[in-house]
Amino acid sequence: MHDSPQSASSPAVEMQFVYAHGLAALVALLISICFGFLAAMEMLLPDAAGDSPWFTWGRLRYDHTQGIMLGWLGNAFFAFLYHAVPLLTGRRVTSPKLGQWIFGIWNFLVVIPGWILVLAGHSQPLEWAEFPLVVDVFVVLALLLAAVQFLPPFFSRGLEDLYVSSWYIIGALVFTLLAYPMGNFVPELVPGARGAAFSGLWIHDAIGLFVTPLALAIVYFVIPAATRRPIFSHFLSMLGFWLLFFLYPLNGTHHYVFSVIPMSAQIGAITASTLLGVDVVLVVANLMLSLRGTGWFPRDPALRFVGTSTLFYLIVSIQGSVQAQMSVNQSVHFSDWVVGHSHMAMLGFASFAALGGLVHAWQRIPWARYHAGMVNVGYWLLLAGVVTMVADLTIAGLVEASSWKSAAPWIESVRAAKPYWLVRVLTFLPIGAGFLIVTIGLFAGSPGEGLKEIQQQIGLEPVSEIAPRIAEEVR
Amino acid sequence: MKRLLRMSYLVAGLGGVGFFVMSILLLGVWPGRALEQQIQQTQPEHPPALTASEQRGRVIYGREGCAYCHTQQIRYLPNDVKRFGKATLAWETIFDYPQLWGTRRIGPDLSREAGVRSADWQFSHLYGPRNLVPDSVMPAFPWLFAGAPDRPTQEARDVVDYLETLGRDRALAAPEGDAHARAACNCSDDERRFAFGPGPLNASPSMARRTGDFPKLAAGDRSRGRIVYARNCQNCHGIEGEGDGKGAAGLSPKPANFAGHEYTATRLGFALWNGVSGTAMPAWRDLEPADLASVAEVVRGFHAAQTEPAIPKEVLALGARVYSDRCAQCHGTSGSGDGPAAGQFPVAPTNFRTQRPAIAVSLRALRNGIEGTPMAPWAGELSEAELSAVAFYVRTFFSGGSQ
Repeated sequence: MHDSPQSASSPAVEMQFVYAHGLAALVALLISICFGFLAAMEMLLPDAAGDSPWFTWGRLRYDHTQGIMLGWLGNAFFAFLYHAVPLLTGRRVTSPKLGQWIFGIWNFLVVIPGWILVLAGHSQPLEWAEFPLVVDVFVVLALLLAAVQFLPPFFSRGLEDLYVSSWYIIGALVFTLLAYPMGNFVPELVPGARGAAFSGLWIHDAIGLFVTPLALAIVYFVIPAATRRPIFSHFLSMLGFWLLFFLYPLNGTHHYVFSVIPMSAQIGAITASTLLGVDVVLVVANLMLSLRGTGWFPRDPALRFVGTSTLFYLIVSIQGSVQAQMSVNQSVHFSDWVVGHSHMAMLGFASFAALGGLVHAWQRIPWARYHAGMVNVGYWLLLAGVVTMVADLTIAGLVEASSWKSAAPWIESVRAAKPYWLVRVLTFLPIGAGFLIVTIGLFAGSPGEGLKEIQQQIGLEPVSEIAPRIAEEVR
Repeated sequence: MKRLLRMSYLVAGLGGVGFFVMSILLLGVWPGRALEQQIQQTQPEHPPALTASEQRGRVIYGREGCAYCHTQQIRYLPNDVKRFGKATLAWETIFDYPQLWGTRRIGPDLSREAGVRSADWQFSHLYGPRNLVPDSVMPAFPWLFAGAPDRPTQEARDVVDYLETLGRDRALAAPEGDAHARAACNCSDDERRFAFGPGPLNASPSMARRTGDFPKLAAGDRSRGRIVYARNCQNCHGIEGEGDGKGAAGLSPKPANFAGHEYTATRLGFALWNGVSGTAMPAWRDLEPADLASVAEVVRGFHAAQTEPAIPKEVLALGARVYSDRCAQCHGTSGSGDGPAAGQFPVAPTNFRTQRPAIAVSLRALRNGIEGTPMAPWAGELSEAELSAVAFYVRTFFSGGSQ
C-alpha cells in the first residue's frame, strides 16, 4: 500500500517492548507447558522424578500454572498493551524507562525466581498463588508500575467515549492490583475455613479480573482492527463489560460448594455464576455478530485465533455456569472435569486470545520476522490438541465421579482414570508442537514478512485509520 | 451533556470498585464472621494446637503440593460423609495458616487421617508409595529419608506427625465435644445431619481395630482371589506369601508370613475386616466380602500342609510347663492371646488357637523374638530343649483349619 511500514505502525507504539514481552511470553509459554507435560507424565510414571525433590509432581504443578498465568499470559498481555494502548488513546505509554523496569521485575524478579524458588521448595500452597510471598511482593510492585505505565494515557485522553477494550484494560489493571494481595496475603493471616473463603474469591478473580478482561480486550481490539468494521454493538459491549465486572468477583465461593462456608454465600455465588453465563452469551453474541462474514476460520491468523478463542469463551462459560449448580457440582467437583474446564479457559480461551493479540501486534512490527505458514500450522495443531484434551479430561472426570459415588475402593478411581491420563499426555504432542511452531513462525521468515502478508491479503491499513475507527464507533 | 456523561463514568467506575468491595464483604468478610461465630459456638474448650514438629510437617505438606491431590475438607454430602466421615466443621481448621482445603481429589481426602495408618506404613508409603499400593500415582519422597523407609529424616517424621493431627482434635473432643457442638451450633438441619449424623466420625475403611465383628467368609474363588491379592496384598506379603514383598522392608513388625502359618477362616476374616491393630496391616472394609473370601482362600493356599510329626509326651509336658511359666501371661492359658498382660501392648499377642506357626517359624520367634512387637527373644533365658518343647507345644492349641 501507500504507507511505509514505519508509518503504518504508529510511532507512538513502543515496538521494542511488544517484541521483548512477546519473546518473554513465548519462552515462558514453552517452559510452562513443559512443566505441565512433566506433571502429566508423572501421573503415569510417578517415579520418573527420581530421588530429586526438584522435579516432584507438586512443584511442577505449581510452576505450570504460575508460569502460564504470569510468565506466558502476563507477558503476552503486556506485549498487547504496548501495541494497543497508544492506538486506543492516541498517546504514548508513560515511559520507556518504566517499561524496562516492568519487564525486568516481571521476568527477572517474578517469573524466573518464582519458578526456581518453587522447585527449591519455597512456595505457598494456595491455588493460583503458588509463588512464595517474596515474589508476590514484586508482582504487586510490577502491577503498580504497569498501572502507572498504561493508565495515564486513558485518563489524559478522557474517559468519555472509551472503546470497550480500553475499559477492559483499565478494569484489569485496577482490579488485579486490588485482588492479588487478597488472594496471596490474606489466607496467610486468616486461617482455615475463613481463609478459604478468600482463596475461593481469588481463584475466580485471577481468571475473572486479570485473565478474562485482558483476553477480551484483545478480542475486542483485534476483531475491528482485522475485519475493518466496527464492533457490532457498542451498547452490548459496554453492557457486557459492566455486567462482567459486577458478576465475576461474586463467583468465587462456587469453588467450595457444600463446604462449611455459610450456605447463603454459596447460593449467592452460584446465582452469580449462573448470571455470568447469561452475560457471556451477550458478550459472545456481540463478538460473533462482529465476526460475521469472516467464516469459522478467517484467513487472518490473528483473527482466526481470536475467533476460536471467542467460541471457547462461550463454551467454557456455559460449562462454568452448569458446573456451579449444586446438582452437577456435587459429582464433578474435585475431578478431572474441572481440570478440563480450566484448560479450556486458560488454553482454549485465554491462550488463543493472547496468541491472536501477539500475532496481530507482531505482524505490525516492521522489522519482526514472521512466517505465515507456521503460524497457520500451529493453529490447527493447537485446536486439535486442546479439543482432544478437554474432551478427554471431561470424560475422565465423569468416570472418576461415578467411581466415587459407588462403594468401590478409592484406588479404583485412580485405576479407571489412567487411560485418560495417557491420552492427556499424548495431547502434549499437538499442543507442544503447535506452540513451538507458532514460536518458530514468529522468529523465522524474513523481517517484515508479517506486514507484507497483510498487504497482500487485504491491503495494509495505516494504523492512523484504525485508531479513529475504534474511537469513533462509540459516537 | 458531556459533563453528565463524565459523571456517569465516574459513578460506574466507583460502582465497579464498590462491587469488588462488596464481593469481598459478602463472600469473604461476612462468611468469615459467620464462621467465627460458629467456631465460638462449636469448638471444644482447648483444642491442642500444632507442635513445632507438626507445624514443620504442615509446611512440607504444603511445599510438596500434597493439598493438590488430597483435600482436607469433607463436604456436606452423603457420599463424602459415607466415604470419609463426618463433614468438616469450621473449628477443625482454625490452626491452618494458610488453609489446605484443596480443590482436586486424586488421592483420598485426608481430613480424618489421624489414627488410620501406623507410622511404619506412613513412612514406607512416603518413601515409595508403590511399594505398598501398586496402582498409586503418588510421588515418592525418598529425599525425606536416609536411604531406606525405616530411616526417616526429621522432615519425614514431621510430615507423619502432621498427618497424625488431621482430624485428631475432633476425635479427641468426641463424643462429648460433638454433642456440645451439635446443641450449640446455629446450623441448618442438613448441616447438622452431615456434621453430627449417626455414622462414624472417621469412616475410613482402612482404620485398624483391635476388636470387632466381621462378616463370615463364604467359600471364595481362587482365581478372583489372586487378582485381589496381587492388587492389594502382594506388595507386602510377597508373591509366595512369605511376608517378603518389596513393601515389607520398612515395616515393623514385618508382614505376616502366610507360608509359615496355618490360619482358621475366623482369623483371616477378622484380620481382613478389622486390620491388625498396632501393625501396618490396614482393614479392607472397602473390598467386597466375596473378594475378601477369595483372597482368604489364596492366603490359606500358601501354606503347604505337612504331616505332623508325633511329639513325645514328655516334650509336650516340658513345653506346657515352660508355656505356663513364661508365655501364658500374654498368650493366655488356652493360647488364645488373652493373657492378663495382653491388653497393655499395642500389638495383640498371637492367638495360637486361630493361627498355627510352622515349627521353624515358631522356633525362630522364640529364639529371636519378633521385631516391632513385645515378643522378646528367649534364647538366653531358656535352654535349647525348653525352646523346642514350647515351640512344639504352642502348635497344639490350634483349633483346626475348618473354622
